[in-house]
Amino acid sequence: MAAPGSLQSHDIRAEVPPPRSGDVVRGDTMVAMAPRLLVLEDDVGLRRSLRMVLEDDGYDVIEAADAERALAVVSDHGVDLMLVDLMLGGMDGFSFIQRARPHTEAPIVVVSARDGVQDIVAALEAGADDYVTKPFVVEEVKARLKALLRRPAMGGPGETRARDDVFVLDGQDGPLVFDRGAAALSRGDDEIHLTNTEFRLLSVLVDNAGRVLSRSALLEHVWDQGFFGDERIVDVHVRRLRKKVELQPGSPTILVTVRGLGYRLDTR
Amino acid sequence: MTPRRRGRGLRASVTLAFALGALGLSTILAVGTYFSARHFLLEQRERTAMRQAFTDSALVRDSLLTSGAEVSDVLGSISPPAGAVIYVRRDGEWYSSALDSSGPELTAKVQPVVRRGSVGIAWTDATDPPAVVVGIPLAAADAEYYEVSVAEELDRTLWTLAVALFVCAGLTTVAGALLGRAASRRVLAPLSEVTTAAVRLSAGDLDTRLGPTEDPDLAALVGSFNHMVDALHERIDQDARFAADVSHELRTPVTTLTTSLTLLQNSSGLPPRSEQAVRLMATELARFRRALEDLLVLGRLDAGSHEAEPISIGARELARQALVASDLSPLLVRAVPDGGPDPEIRVDRVQMLRALTNLARNAELHGGGLTAVTVADRGDQVDVHMEDRGPGVPTEDRARIFERFARAGGEKAGTGSGLGLSIVEQTVRNHAGHVWCADRPGGGAVFVVRLPAARRPAP
Repeated sequence: MAAPGSLQSHDIRAEVPPPRSGDVVRGDTMVAMAPRLLVLEDDVGLRRSLRMVLEDDGYDVIEAADAERALAVVSDHGVDLMLVDLMLGGMDGFSFIQRARPHTEAPIVVVSARDGVQDIVAALEAGADDYVTKPFVVEEVKARLKALLRRPAMGGPGETRARDDVFVLDGQDGPLVFDRGAAALSRGDDEIHLTNTEFRLLSVLVDNAGRVLSRSALLEHVWDQGFFGDERIVDVHVRRLRKKVELQPGSPTILVTVRGLGYRLDTR
Repeated sequence: MTPRRRGRGLRASVTLAFALGALGLSTILAVGTYFSARHFLLEQRERTAMRQAFTDSALVRDSLLTSGAEVSDVLGSISPPAGAVIYVRRDGEWYSSALDSSGPELTAKVQPVVRRGSVGIAWTDATDPPAVVVGIPLAAADAEYYEVSVAEELDRTLWTLAVALFVCAGLTTVAGALLGRAASRRVLAPLSEVTTAAVRLSAGDLDTRLGPTEDPDLAALVGSFNHMVDALHERIDQDARFAADVSHELRTPVTTLTTSLTLLQNSSGLPPRSEQAVRLMATELARFRRALEDLLVLGRLDAGSHEAEPISIGARELARQALVASDLSPLLVRAVPDGGPDPEIRVDRVQMLRALTNLARNAELHGGGLTAVTVADRGDQVDVHMEDRGPGVPTEDRARIFERFARAGGEKAGTGSGLGLSIVEQTVRNHAGHVWCADRPGGGAVFVVRLPAARRPAP
């Protein structure tokens, strides 16, 4: 619980750096700046220890003890990654994710003591990308953060872009084009925003277009999780992705469910 | 109750009590009936004999007075009723209507009364059956008149009555026993319902309650029984919640500890002693974390909650995944019958995978290593056999090892949480299956998980 009096002491590091130009331009020839990671956790001990370990791992960590302060950080400074606890004093983690999502595509990893099915699904539906239950080993969190931060097959501007990095998903209405190199999805002239996880999921699906991918295969390729991951993560993200690629998400024609087996991407 | 009687059941006791009660009552009634009937019949007989004797004696007196005839002639002229003999004593001489001389002995009881001038009546046992003796003084003729009538019919009547009453008493006793048996069954019927409920409760069906009753005598029993079950249920829930709550509260501190320890482990330049201490802490903390995770898993299993949507999956495929997750070769999985299709089971994949992984780990830690995993298709059921080459499990421990915090032997004993096999047992039970441990032919142990096969959709 965040005592009101403790807010000024540690909510945001006093030395929060001003926005840097290096953060904005991705894939610059310059060495990328340390990814900025927001840790929203009301337990001081865990927040501090996470910050120290993740700083050692090369992240630029910003601490927040409550959701209001975290929202301010997201809108004022921008972040690349978020670790969010669900049970907080004041606004809870679910509301934070819902309010933060429109402002940022940064991957959100939920770190929670709540392990109920409905909690996990609710957090993913709200816009989280991954879910880790306490007690966890920090190596696991580091692995998931790394996986979410990585955009597969993203070429720098110096590289020649392979032709098959541009996919026409739907040639009829739109058309719907996925440009992997530019990390862009567009229908006609409209740009569609993808979160990191949606991008990675779509990437794996287009690489295997026309083939059925099982939920566990998707778990392994997109989330880097072993067999113990929850397959509902896949379902929730497929639902979210459908809202962006399908004209009628209720009766999908591009990202189809193969009953009992998994999902398949069909281009039209 | 004396120890000797302890062997007799409640139903037998009730039956016996009813039989004894019926016997006692019917005996009292029979004896009472017999004696009052006997008394009445005797009295009646005496009255008849008396009346007969008066009539006959008047005839004899008149004959003696009018003709002055001899007594023997008078007695010869009158005919006494059947079974009756008339004796007359006159001037010390005895005369009889039946030409016998037993008059003086037969009438001995009434002679003194008659000599004093009164009418006497008595019973004599000298004849068989007994006879009623009536004596009448014939003062006018200076003689004594005696009439002895054998109570032939009375004796037969009393005998018949006694037999009838005895048979009735016997029948009443048998009826009492039958009534007692029926009554005990009726009374014990609610008890057998309670017994059934108790058996189901002890089998773990905590939702068992006794049905409502309109019988006010049983309402108290039903009420207190159901109340007891509620209290028990509440208590068990509380215990389970306590473990779950404690585990829940420990989640964040344990996470903080492991995270902070990572920092120490990663930092260089620690004095060797501190480094050793950090290593010890890391080992124990890892163990603590595993125990906590197992407790949390058990809490979820106890609550019956799913961790993933139940899906149909091939048992061999799941076993292979479990082996891969345990860093073992998936080639250990064998099929019975050889080459058959992978039998499908419907499971919470996360939970069942964990259960199989726990069995594989158990074989590695305590069983000298996993030798084979056999998946047997048994039609309606699917068996997964996990075989090891360890020392096996003693027969007396085979049920105990599935209990919580039971510890197995083995060189690496003490490294687990003591909950691994409990998680297996609870998971399999939640899937309507059964797990047990047996000897593997040729040494070692085999753990068998038997699960219902998934219903195959019609082709």
